[in-house]
Amino acid sequence: MPSLSTAFAENGAATLPLLTLGAAAGEPLFWRGGQSVTRGRFAAGVLQLAEQLPDKAYAINLCDDRLAFCTALAAAALRGIVTLLPPSSGAAGLAALRLAYPDSIVLSDTPGSEYCVPQTAPETEILVLPEILADRAIAIVFTSGSTGQSQPHLKTWRALYQAGALIGQRLLAEFGRTQIVATVPLQHMYGLETTALLPLAAGHATFCGRPVFPDDVRAALASVPAPRILVTAPVHIRALLNAGTRLPPLAGIVSATAPLPPELAAQAEQAYATEVREIYGCTEAGSIASRRTVAGPRWRLLDAMHLDHEGGQTRVIGAHLPAPVPLHDLLEVDGDGFHLLGRASDLLKVGGRRASLADLTRTLLSIPGVIDGIVFQPESNDGNDILQRPAALVVAPDLSESAIMTALAQLIDPVFLPRPLRKLDALPRNAVGKLPRAVLERLLAET
Amino acid sequence: MTQEELDLAHLLINALNLEGKDPATIDPVAPLFGDYGTGWGLDSIDALEIALAIQQRYGIELRADDELSRNAFSSLQELARFVAQPRAQQAS
Repeated sequence: MPSLSTAFAENGAATLPLLTLGAAAGEPLFWRGGQSVTRGRFAAGVLQLAEQLPDKAYAINLCDDRLAFCTALAAAALRGIVTLLPPSSGAAGLAALRLAYPDSIVLSDTPGSEYCVPQTAPETEILVLPEILADRAIAIVFTSGSTGQSQPHLKTWRALYQAGALIGQRLLAEFGRTQIVATVPLQHMYGLETTALLPLAAGHATFCGRPVFPDDVRAALASVPAPRILVTAPVHIRALLNAGTRLPPLAGIVSATAPLPPELAAQAEQAYATEVREIYGCTEAGSIASRRTVAGPRWRLLDAMHLDHEGGQTRVIGAHLPAPVPLHDLLEVDGDGFHLLGRASDLLKVGGRRASLADLTRTLLSIPGVIDGIVFQPESNDGNDILQRPAALVVAPDLSESAIMTALAQLIDPVFLPRPLRKLDALPRNAVGKLPRAVLERLLAET
Repeated sequence: MTQEELDLAHLLINALNLEGKDPATIDPVAPLFGDYGTGWGLDSIDALEIALAIQQRYGIELRADDELSRNAFSSLQELARFVAQPRAQQAS
């Protein structure tokens, strides 16, 4: 496999491999239906697509299939086309993206789309692919502004490549080449790093599909050889445990997108006789730190990452990152690691997407007929706070709850739609106009 | 709405924290996913919750790679049909 130990020695290099081939060309890179696609066959597909892509500045990559996605990403990179990864596949978000990036083409693996990327690779193998300029932006990922204006973040090949190498080094080095099965999408940094970059930059192979239901996860894992790694999120781990799903032997479980409750991690470790490790990261910096959840709350920074403070804010610095990245969480540095003290109270995370509660409240108040209202995050929904959907209290005498939800659904990403949304005659504002949290919680429980 | 559809509507409303929704006003053929205006406006996280709730209530495993399961997610009516269907022992 590509040498992991030398990955960082290449940090100053002007170019980096798109994919290490040579003697490794015959090794599997993707798995589908029990069959593998080798690195060499994947490379042949990349070259083929690179020759066919039209001349555009940007390619919006909507592929769900991991082989099709990586083929499109790599072919675009070879051609100098910047890949855009939209935060949601909703029609409104896509239309906005096309408006902002008119010189773009949509690459998808759905037949009938603007440009359909095949979910197959040629039978022939090639042994060499050109290298990629390390500091050229090859992708743009977006943080989903809750009010629709997404913030773009440029990713150089160096940043992406090293992210794959770093995660591989930290979490998978002891297992050799692993087979990764992931329940998370590719258009999100965590899914991109674990299922596109661990394969391209660190020698691992990945299952093409995205199983979500417990029995699909079991079947996907059973279809690939050991050592198997399950890359997932707390909601999916909870679903597997609740469903009592039995899985083939696992080398490890990796979780991210939301904090994993330690009890859940302990249950999963016991049920699947493996270690559960979490990745901490953000869209701007990618993966930053990891921990084995049951070993305690301390996060250990990935190699080559460190933290500093400026103007009361913690920033993460990585040799592969073009600039320091300010973090949204409050944390306390502890040697080569840190403890999370909490999240900026305005920040909401659902399904790996971020929004500001203040923005969501502003959007709610912008709906004609809404007189007063607040979007907030209840302390805990029936004892588990994995999902963290927001709730809302609204004063709108002339609108029904469903009319407000319909209006809101046009304005915000559906994962942020309040559950529940309750109508009241008035909000219990105190003397200074504030809404005490305890009162909000009580009202939500009562109505 | 049939009794089975009504039972299922209650199951979904509880599992997905949708108390604002009145089961009596639900159109059984409205789409479960996507557009909030014409349907339930559910998302992929809900799909997982629904699959779990159905497994726990009816002992049936939903699978995304199975045509019948996929079709079941199109509406409350289809979901009720899927759940009511006699089936062979689930392969494991």
